[in-house]
Amino acid sequence: MNTKSFSFNLSNPVVTISLLFGMVFAFGIYATSSPSSGINPSLFGITLVSGLFQGMLLFLVASGLSLIFGLMDILNFAQGAYFMIGAYMTWDIQNLDTGVPFFNNIGSAFPDPNIRFLVALIIAVVTGGVLGFILERILLRPLYSRPLFQLVLTFGVSLIMLEIIKAVWGTNSNAWTSTIWLNSGTFSIFGQQDTTYRLFVIAVGAVMMIAIALLLRRTKLGIIVRAGVEDAEMVSALGINVRAIFTLIFTLGCALAAFGGAVATPFLGVKFTMGSEFLLAAIAAIVLGGLGSYEGTAIASILVGFMWSFTQQFGVRPDINNGIWFSITPMLLLTMILLLRPSGIFGKER
Amino acid sequence: MTDIHLHIEGIHTFIGQFHILEGVSVTVPRGSITVLLGRNGAGKTTTLKSIMGITPPSEGSIIYNGKSLRGMKPHSIAQLGIGYVPEHRAIFKELSVRENLELAGRKRGDLDKQRDFIFTLFPDLQRLYDLGGGNLSGGQQQMLAIARALVPQNDLLLIDEPSEGLAPVIIQQLMAAIKKLAEFKTILLVEQNFRVASKLADHYVIIDEGHSVQAGAMADLLSDPAVVNRYLGVA
Amino acid sequence: MMINPPKSRTQEILDVLWEHKVYIVIVGLLVMLPHLIGWLTESSPFATARGATVVLRGQSGVWQAIFIEVFALAIFVMSYNLMFGFTGVISFGHALFFGIGGYALGIVLQFGGIENIDVAFFAGLGAVFGLCIVFGLFIGLVSLRLRGVYFAIFTLAVAQIGWYFVENWALTGRDGGFSIKTVPSWIDSIQSRINLYYVALVCFVLVFLFIRRLVNSPTGAVLKAIRENEERAKAIGYNTLTYKLFSIVVASVMAGLAGVLHGLLNKQGISPQLFGVNYTVDALLMTIIGGVGTFTGPVLGATGLHLADVAFRDRIIEIGGVSIQLSDSWALITGLIFVLVVLVFPYGIVGTYYRVKLWIKKKTTSQAPPAPPPHG
Repeated sequence: MNTKSFSFNLSNPVVTISLLFGMVFAFGIYATSSPSSGINPSLFGITLVSGLFQGMLLFLVASGLSLIFGLMDILNFAQGAYFMIGAYMTWDIQNLDTGVPFFNNIGSAFPDPNIRFLVALIIAVVTGGVLGFILERILLRPLYSRPLFQLVLTFGVSLIMLEIIKAVWGTNSNAWTSTIWLNSGTFSIFGQQDTTYRLFVIAVGAVMMIAIALLLRRTKLGIIVRAGVEDAEMVSALGINVRAIFTLIFTLGCALAAFGGAVATPFLGVKFTMGSEFLLAAIAAIVLGGLGSYEGTAIASILVGFMWSFTQQFGVRPDINNGIWFSITPMLLLTMILLLRPSGIFGKER
Repeated sequence: MTDIHLHIEGIHTFIGQFHILEGVSVTVPRGSITVLLGRNGAGKTTTLKSIMGITPPSEGSIIYNGKSLRGMKPHSIAQLGIGYVPEHRAIFKELSVRENLELAGRKRGDLDKQRDFIFTLFPDLQRLYDLGGGNLSGGQQQMLAIARALVPQNDLLLIDEPSEGLAPVIIQQLMAAIKKLAEFKTILLVEQNFRVASKLADHYVIIDEGHSVQAGAMADLLSDPAVVNRYLGVA
Repeated sequence: MMINPPKSRTQEILDVLWEHKVYIVIVGLLVMLPHLIGWLTESSPFATARGATVVLRGQSGVWQAIFIEVFALAIFVMSYNLMFGFTGVISFGHALFFGIGGYALGIVLQFGGIENIDVAFFAGLGAVFGLCIVFGLFIGLVSLRLRGVYFAIFTLAVAQIGWYFVENWALTGRDGGFSIKTVPSWIDSIQSRINLYYVALVCFVLVFLFIRRLVNSPTGAVLKAIRENEERAKAIGYNTLTYKLFSIVVASVMAGLAGVLHGLLNKQGISPQLFGVNYTVDALLMTIIGGVGTFTGPVLGATGLHLADVAFRDRIIEIGGVSIQLSDSWALITGLIFVLVVLVFPYGIVGTYYRVKLWIKKKTTSQAPPAPPPHG
């Protein structure tokens, strides 16, 4: 297949990555400056942090998507729904006054808001994992021989889950009202104040990145997964039950997405569109990083996070003032990547 | 009375709608090197894949150590002690030599026990232990693929076209290694290169257009050039 | 039928008509439908003037609207089936063209500033077809570069961009959308619904015949070859890009037509929803439920879906003491049917019907019959 490369060597990932970050930062500086007062370093700084925050959240969703796609060749459209389930459940457990009473009751068993939050996180992750397990065993296993229908199926399942969420929780947006230790402080960066919760998420994201990387590089499971990404049939011929590994990875991916949602909701509240927003951005991230590459997904998530944050800021620039820029960013990015370099940063040229 | 390690009787295998194997029977005596001979596309690789359960047969029987392999999944079949070395090697290019070998271990410590033996057999692998699989030469990859089958306790090795695409010098090394292995393992070999096959194997089965047509001791085949010519196309 | 004497022209025509008697009966019924219902329910199929306004009352009008929507959806689904079922191109953004149909027509009529409303109407049609062709070509050309999953994601992204674009466009009322207030009276959904009905019916029949003709032609054979194995088709020497482009552009234009018909019927509802993934999913769903690569399958699917929608949407059913408002769960039910069909009936209703027929035939004859011809 003919692919056009630029005149300088883009098949070197380091070049590509530096270029991309450079472009994003340049755009960021432009987006955070204004025609009247020029470049605004503190606004840039805080938008950068915000971008890192969004990037980490995105990573939690995208990493699952990437692992599942790399190993099983399934684009799990339901990741967005798992993200939402994690978010909604955590929100209900923590904020006792509204939402589904069942979860509120669980939450009221823990009067200390910080402990309650921890419990909420755990429940959300476990639920995500269990639901992911059920989805894979019941729905996807019979279809391994028909990849086209698999794609169609995860699409259909994601819609079903969305509808169930809508039926249970309604379509209203809600903000987070509980104060926990994590979101009670502020820190200042470049002269602007921001909530410490952002730092928490960034730290959590970084920890997950390293943890998963270690899992892949240092453990036997990681070796199996990396081998399976290349040739699952051969792994099976070596005596390893690949199907069981598939189920495990799928479960893990869904649990990660739910975790992402749980961690996101103290800052973002709950919104009916959050699942699809993050899903589409996550798809953009894994394509940009290179389908099947874990490192690519990590770097790309950060990049997309930055872009998201900067375009949001761009949209509120007084001379631009158009909300379209926030929603359209992941899609524009995705379209451009697909047109210019579909294999992404770390993918193999097709 | 020779001890039969693997016995295949009358298997039929379909791939999609194509009837690839139309009645193949193979008997592999324990401790022997048995070779499947035949032209391109005759069904030799499919036979190995049918044994491993990768392309399961629709009819016929496969008995290994007295146990039927029909209906078992590939990983279960492998765990019975069968090592599969497919054509084109199928090593994992993104993994290092070490990781390729570690992957093959089924019980803790498998690799530790076999490591010295593997290094004796294939000294290059020790030198390249931490190198990525994609950086190995064809011959080294083949050695790695065979070494991989040695890590766990495998009594039967299925080796598909090991000499393919390799230089004669490397082929010599490989042949010596396989001959050494045959001292304690049974080997079922697929080999297009008749010169290599005739020097290695002590038993043969000829497969032609999906049927097994003739079998016996290699010594007998070598004294019958007419048969060799008819089914293998080269003298 | 005698074989030896050559048939007269009339006899030939009668034979063809007899072969397709089922279709002719159905089309005939559809033609008579507004009048039949009007006669049965004593309502007029035509609008009547009441003072300054024109109203359309009665069951006949209601059913006309239902079937106009069915025709529009059926055209939309048939176009999707052409791309997906016959050429093997999977798209998650087919709604893009549906949306273009509604929006382009609406914008020209409402905001175009053309004095003569009939001219405006045809200008709008021109805009729709022009845009559909342009975007169809764009997507088709991209298919050269992207395969399978990548292409599907790309189409999804493009359709989403379309959505976000109109959702943020002040001219078209952002996320609320807008209404087309000025439609030519001869095709207006209130004043002349029955005209719109017949126009939609004619479009439906023409599209059906066209696709059927196309698929049974040599071009259609190439399309099917591409679906089976594009590399092999290329190796034989076909320029698969040209054929794929053709298929995609034709499908896009048809989808635009469907959007136009839907927009004319629902002129108050030109909203970003038209670009929504729901329409694409409905098309995919209908194609699979009806039977991928069959003719009547998608049509039956679309008809069934919409009729079921109309019939059940406002019902409330009781299960074990809990009453469920079906309209709330409609998408959920659709999704469940979807999953069920993909798992259990991957060949769809019509597809499974053919396979059962084949299986029965195999059991009762000694030799395997050839595969069923792709018409029905």
